Amino acid sequence: MKHSLHTRRQFLRTSILGGALSWTVPAFLERTFFTLDAIAADSAIQSTTGKDGPILIVLQLAGGNDGLNTLVPFADDAYFRARPTLAIPAAETLRLNDALGLNPKLSGLKSLYDEGQLAILQGVGYPNPNRSHFRSTEIWHTASDSSVTEKYGWMGRYFDSCCKGEDPSVGVSIGSQPPQAFAAPEPRGITFSRPEQFRFDLKNTTDRTAADGFFRSVNEPDSEQMEGGSIGMLAGHAEGTGSALDFLQRTSLDAVMSSDKVAEIIKRTKPGASYPSNRLADSLNLVARLIGGGMPTRVYYIAQGGYDTHSNQIGAHTKLMEELNSSLTAFCADLKSQGHFDRILLMTFSEFGRRVAENASGGTDHGAAAPLFVLGGKVKPGLHGSTPSLTQLHDGDIIHRVDFRSVYATILAHWLKAPVEPILKGRFPLLPFV
Amino acid sequence: MLAWLPSNEWTLEAAAHLLNRAAFGGSPSEIRSLHALGHANAVRSLLQAREDEDLFPAPEINPMEVLRPRADTMVPEDLAERRKMVQIKVREQTQELRMWWLQRMASTPYPAREKCVLFWHGHWATSIQKVNDPFLVMQQNQTLRAHALGAFTPFAKEMSRDPAMIRYLDLNSSKAGHPNENFARELMELFTLGEGQYSEQDIQEAARAFTGYRINPQTGGFVFGRKLHDTGAKTIFGRTGSFDGDATIDLITSKPQCAEFLSAKIWNFYAGQKPAAPLNQVLASEYRASGMQTGDFLERIFLSREFYSRKYRRSQIKSPVQWLVQTCKILERPLPDTKKTQGALEQLGQVLFAPPNVKGWDGGRAWISSSSLLLRYNFSGALVRDGASDAPDIEKILPAGASPHEACDLLSWRLYQAPMDPALREKTLHLLESNASTPAARRDIVHLLMSTPEFQLT
Repeated sequence: MKHSLHTRRQFLRTSILGGALSWTVPAFLERTFFTLDAIAADSAIQSTTGKDGPILIVLQLAGGNDGLNTLVPFADDAYFRARPTLAIPAAETLRLNDALGLNPKLSGLKSLYDEGQLAILQGVGYPNPNRSHFRSTEIWHTASDSSVTEKYGWMGRYFDSCCKGEDPSVGVSIGSQPPQAFAAPEPRGITFSRPEQFRFDLKNTTDRTAADGFFRSVNEPDSEQMEGGSIGMLAGHAEGTGSALDFLQRTSLDAVMSSDKVAEIIKRTKPGASYPSNRLADSLNLVARLIGGGMPTRVYYIAQGGYDTHSNQIGAHTKLMEELNSSLTAFCADLKSQGHFDRILLMTFSEFGRRVAENASGGTDHGAAAPLFVLGGKVKPGLHGSTPSLTQLHDGDIIHRVDFRSVYATILAHWLKAPVEPILKGRFPLLPFV
Repeated sequence: MLAWLPSNEWTLEAAAHLLNRAAFGGSPSEIRSLHALGHANAVRSLLQAREDEDLFPAPEINPMEVLRPRADTMVPEDLAERRKMVQIKVREQTQELRMWWLQRMASTPYPAREKCVLFWHGHWATSIQKVNDPFLVMQQNQTLRAHALGAFTPFAKEMSRDPAMIRYLDLNSSKAGHPNENFARELMELFTLGEGQYSEQDIQEAARAFTGYRINPQTGGFVFGRKLHDTGAKTIFGRTGSFDGDATIDLITSKPQCAEFLSAKIWNFYAGQKPAAPLNQVLASEYRASGMQTGDFLERIFLSREFYSRKYRRSQIKSPVQWLVQTCKILERPLPDTKKTQGALEQLGQVLFAPPNVKGWDGGRAWISSSSLLLRYNFSGALVRDGASDAPDIEKILPAGASPHEACDLLSWRLYQAPMDPALREKTLHLLESNASTPAARRDIVHLLMSTPEFQLT
């Protein structure tokens, strides 16, 4: 049996506790069935709309971006003393004021800054910084204290508390693996890198209708067994709790539903023409198409890798800055021409900055606090916070001035309009960047 | 201690579980042969198999450093040309190495060792993306193979001197006075003890012990730079001495947490679940009792009743490499050509010699996203249909004359090594009844049964 996209979506959103459960209903549906009442009653549920809701895009600069060579404190002698070979001369930076300038490659971001669409938050980090990539990435993704290991992600907890009953595509991550930020007891969110492969391919089958029918009946159990509104929302990805089979069945259902939707959007939108050719640009281009096509997604997650510059940093970091700049510039122009720039807020982050002093290999080792960028049509632009000291350090690293969870709290409260405390499990001062 | 599996519980399904987990699975006839050996002999045949030395000759490649241009000896145009040539060579040779290893997994008479090499590759994760020299990567792969089933402490020492590792974790720029902490940190955090079992000071001091480790650019071998080594006193885990790298590894591996950490990781890889604390204690004591000999420890695991418990059966999500190699084995077909094989593994998220980071692959549920699941479904279709003479023999998998019920039994055993879920069986019967006359239609059925959540489990 085939449902139209519209009815299936509606069908999955409406939470009705149904009657006759056939024995063919998979166990995971049966179990989640009884939690439906509670979900339906939850007044915090916000309805998704692909046309007008605010959108958050999170861009991870993976590997630990060198904050000091991104936002350069060119008036500080300590910077030049610590970096005899790596320091960027004052004259080369794109000056923001008498003390700070952007990396010379960030010309597009400088324009956004001048136009009042870029906020730069200085000295963002957390107490007792961890210098392991994995642990620090985990801390950023889960918004936990440095001493606490938390399994679920801050976006996962947001989806969990505010997006129950919505499409699985409320979170979209471009890549091959879902980010830990999406992990939740009942995770939502889809992950893919190339839309044309995000589709079950029937072209080599002898009888497409029969094959499609069988495929849907084993991978999308709602379309057959639950015909007639016997079951509504399917909650419970059951990460960590259900069996591996439950998890696979749920993911399979998500995949079939969202691939129908992505295919439909890709069919009627065109790729933006002005993007440079690199992986980050490809990801941003795809995100722009999905936004333009009305995908009901609130959070997009993308990453740019390669920032772990322990040796020979200059060439590598320059190239990364260039890619970051050209890709973001193209993306912003694209969204402006679509008329969606005011709906988006893009934040960058990196698991840590790098050590103030360069090392013997022409690179920098793992550090701590660093600046991050927030851009979009509605940001409160400019430099936020005070510039961290390069002489008062902790083990050679910059001491943070702003807890990263204040950034999350601000985005949750002021941008996504979500309750902060249940998601971040604590109170953090809000910042005036949005 | 782990209790043994009673002999009456050594069933065909138990044999399939062993072959799937200890190696890369096999066809129904391979499972039958393994079962016929009896439990103890089956385990021994897997762990003590032999492979002729010249069965898988390593690709003939040389250290890349020799070819790398030196800026002072060339004009800029030649320099750029040479750099490009080197990059192409790196890419081609790496592809060649990947196929060489995958072929070995798929066709060696000693697949349990290759499975264990795959485990250690994810453990001592090292990526060509940074190492940038296929020769070094191949050399590391051979080192992993030589030590995979042997004792851990000498293995760890060998890995600290492994040139690919030296380059990957920046030991090659670590010297007395300027130690680079990268290797020392990952050694403790990821390779031996686990997070929280050491202090920052332990890392800083251990980093000094590993100073002076270098690579000979001509041979790609290890050299010890005596003058670069920090011979001073170090304090590690509260003990002070002029420890060198090997002595540091002895200090680390003699900590009880080392056997706990490794035995849990090995168990998780083979059994498919992290052991709860009481089981972890048992496993750690078994591992210690074996002198941290991984092969002996695996024998204990594969003979244990615990390993065959219901909760582990068909509960492990196949890694992409496992999925590909096992699928080819159960379909009795060769691996697809280089391009298809590499494309599939890249998109499914497991590129050999290029783990995402030094932590290796997360594994388990992290292999599965909506997109990777759809990709698996689509690649299944190619494995069932593609490759004129390479395509599987459908008459063998699903013979023309089989009744729908017989066909269900055959498919179920071959694809899942277990009975089908009743709902799935009913749908499959319906499909078989409506159209299984042509070979192409029967291939469709095999493809569809592989395009299911069930097929992702082993």
